[in-house]
Amino acid sequence: MTDDKSAPDLVPVSDAKPVSDDKKKPPFLGTKRLSPVPINPDTDRADPTKLAPHQEALRQAMLNVFTAQKARRSLERQVQHISPNRNLAEGIKILFDDKGQPPENVPLEDIVEERRRLEYHVKWFEGILAELRNRLVRVKEVEDYAFEMLSKSVDEES
Amino acid sequence: MAAPIFLLAPPRSYTSLVNAMLGQHPQAFGLPELCLFNVEKLVDLWRGSEGPISENGAVARHGLMRALAEIYGGEQTTATINMARAWAGAREDWTSGRVFQEIVAKIDPLVAVEKSPSYTMSKIRMQWMYEAFPDARFVHLIRHPIGQCKSLMAINEGAFAIKVEAIEFREDHCVLEPQIAWYDLNLNILEFLDTVPDSQQIRMRGEDIMGSPERHLAQIAEWAGLRTDAEAIEEMMHPERSPFACFGPINALFGNDPNFLAGPVFEPHKPKIPRLSDPAPWRDDGGGLYPEVVEMARWFGYD
Repeated sequence: MTDDKSAPDLVPVSDAKPVSDDKKKPPFLGTKRLSPVPINPDTDRADPTKLAPHQEALRQAMLNVFTAQKARRSLERQVQHISPNRNLAEGIKILFDDKGQPPENVPLEDIVEERRRLEYHVKWFEGILAELRNRLVRVKEVEDYAFEMLSKSVDEES
Repeated sequence: MAAPIFLLAPPRSYTSLVNAMLGQHPQAFGLPELCLFNVEKLVDLWRGSEGPISENGAVARHGLMRALAEIYGGEQTTATINMARAWAGAREDWTSGRVFQEIVAKIDPLVAVEKSPSYTMSKIRMQWMYEAFPDARFVHLIRHPIGQCKSLMAINEGAFAIKVEAIEFREDHCVLEPQIAWYDLNLNILEFLDTVPDSQQIRMRGEDIMGSPERHLAQIAEWAGLRTDAEAIEEMMHPERSPFACFGPINALFGNDPNFLAGPVFEPHKPKIPRLSDPAPWRDDGGGLYPEVVEMARWFGYD
């Protein structure tokens, strides 16, 4: 929550009345857009293919830098993702001794927490499994259909 | 069939929160980001995720899938999302307007409330909305350019600015400049709304709603012909009660801003309003807002 006393008070926005109560038209209608990229009239979107060659090159250089930075940050996130998994393995280890038995003095809270964490992971994997099964069913349908078409064409040829 | 309410705003303009709040009105139904009018035909939402239609990737379908699962299946699960895909497959050749009309008819008499900031990227998209619903109501939601641009650059490395070609050319390089997106998208909205009767549009500042939500949401409700009693206003204070104010099942996780999905509870607050003459914090040269941006922001009532 930010309650900044120094911030200027807002002038009421047409006092939240419908625009019909404010007859003044925006003076910006029909003015040029600020994006230097020309508009494609078919899509009403900025079209970078219409840029001058040197501008296109500068834009592409900017995109390359942007993509490289994004990839690096994504990689950092992946590394952070791997670490908790390793922590999870470490966490499980504390629940079992070298004979595969839970230690006698393990706190109940740790067991409950571990059980919840594992349940969460099971649910997550069940979700992925359901999605993969669904995709498999659809691929099998396509495969069956393709074989059916193939067998028909072979029959017709023979 | 009740005319829907569409929120028009560039991204990061409090749209997720305001959409969910209005959608919690007892006479309304707040939808996730359907992104339907990004495309002319439904099947196009499944086509391509490169170039000018790059905002139509798989994530853009999550909102539609979750909405269909909830409305037709009564819950959002992996199974109902699969049902939603089948529903969409059976209608793949429909125009996006026809699909939206069917959804609106299904939830009638509740008033559909929807926002997909990507609609503002092109006036053609907003025209498709208007053609599908000539009696639709439009809320133009505004946010201070500095606050909106800062927020935009903090999400996904500012990738949205690339999608709308918000770039500034300098002598030997170019940089992302989010205020270009703020200006161009608001200009798109203003030019589109110029074709809509005054009675069907209202303009609000997001900061006003955050500071005095009861008052301003009641004004929107009254303008839209909805109840303004205490119970209705109280319901709108709880966007977290929306079935879409959380992550969805694994095959349709999003449908809205992930930050909102992770923390949808609303806390009234008075946002800090920078001055238009302040330096723009995302600029590496200490520069501020463009004169055109300042002029438009002043017209919206910022100082």
